[in-house]
Amino acid sequence: MFDFESLWMWLADSKNWEGRYGLPNLLAEHLSLTFMSIGIAALIALPIGIAIGHSGKGGSVVVLLGSASRAIPTMGLLFVLVMLLGVQQRELAVTLALVAIAFPPILSGAYAGIRALEPHIPEAARAQGMTGSQLIRLVEVPLAMPAIVGGFRIAWIQVVSTVVLAPLIGLGGLGFGIIQGLALRNFDQVVASAMLIVILTVLGDQLIGVAQKTQTLKLENSSGGRNK
Amino acid sequence: MTWALNNAELILQLTLTHLFVSLIPLGLGFVLAVALARVTPAPFTPGITSALGAVYAIPSLALFVALPALIGTDFLGLTNVMIALTIYVISSMFFSARDAFTSLPPATIEFARAQGLSASQRFFFVEFPLAIPGLIAGARIAAASTISMASIAAVVGVRNLGYLFLDGFQRRIFDEVFAGLLAIFVIAIAVDLSLWLLGRALTPWSRRSRV
Repeated sequence: MFDFESLWMWLADSKNWEGRYGLPNLLAEHLSLTFMSIGIAALIALPIGIAIGHSGKGGSVVVLLGSASRAIPTMGLLFVLVMLLGVQQRELAVTLALVAIAFPPILSGAYAGIRALEPHIPEAARAQGMTGSQLIRLVEVPLAMPAIVGGFRIAWIQVVSTVVLAPLIGLGGLGFGIIQGLALRNFDQVVASAMLIVILTVLGDQLIGVAQKTQTLKLENSSGGRNK
Repeated sequence: MTWALNNAELILQLTLTHLFVSLIPLGLGFVLAVALARVTPAPFTPGITSALGAVYAIPSLALFVALPALIGTDFLGLTNVMIALTIYVISSMFFSARDAFTSLPPATIEFARAQGLSASQRFFFVEFPLAIPGLIAGARIAAASTISMASIAAVVGVRNLGYLFLDGFQRRIFDEVFAGLLAIFVIAIAVDLSLWLLGRALTPWSRRSRV
């Protein structure tokens, strides 16, 4: 069985918290790669997903992209892009790979959220004289919010997991301790890094889950209030 | 392309290991997810669903190396990876399996009970066959992600198709990395199609009713 005492000693050792490969720096790198790529993916995927959901055209492409993306190994995608762009451009290559990984779930979330609305809802909004853009801004997007947040939840899991592999191509992030520890047979470092990654990903997932629930409750409360 | 032809034997061997490492967890996870979905009392469902959702959020490489510390398996090796993948299949399939059983028409279950079928007979002859479309849909999603996720096991020393990524990257052979990507994509699609065909073969009534 693994010796947990030496794990705590590794975590308590101040030299693991300092410098280029110290835990705070690795965490910052991990988060900045994750947030930047999810942000870029959202800027592209949200407008497209909303437009496809609104118009109903091109929905099969979204579904196809969603299921095809599950079958593509993220590690292979990462390596292929780094090799195509060259190792000097690896930060760009990683960002591109991560954007490509975050894109399908955010797109599907926005598309599916708007598609799932009862058809009489947009019809009623149009009958009230709403224009297309008012319909999107005031009706479809607010009602699709839980699904949109759900898309971000999957994107977070996928991207944060792929960043764990970044040390394989010479970048940092919390996966560094796993890769280096496996090579050096320093299993304290491996397990400590894995634990921190688990805490980070599960915490992020739960936070997005809370946001998703808040959105759902907000919708339920507002419709309930009007009925009274 | 030349690289793939020159190394066809290696690719075949890695593909077989890849299928072994991903299909056994898929089958095992399927059975366990169905069992768990069936025996969990309704009040516990939300709790188990969110616990499994949290497990699903764990990056696979982190789980591959955290498991040995928790259950004492070897850091490098097959067992560890296959247990981790089984856990992912269970957490990915639990919700859809639960849904497949709870959405069965209650009248059908009542009718089977009225005919005098025992609980296990009802499960094997009525509930399970009727839940197959929902279960297969869940299994197809789990299969695609398990097959692509299994490639990460190469980092902890499993020689499956993920090995082509690590080896090709280290030796700067683009075709090798690309061959790995393509091979994994192809077997994921092949397994997906097989599951779809299996679902159709197991539910002949669903086709007959449509005609």
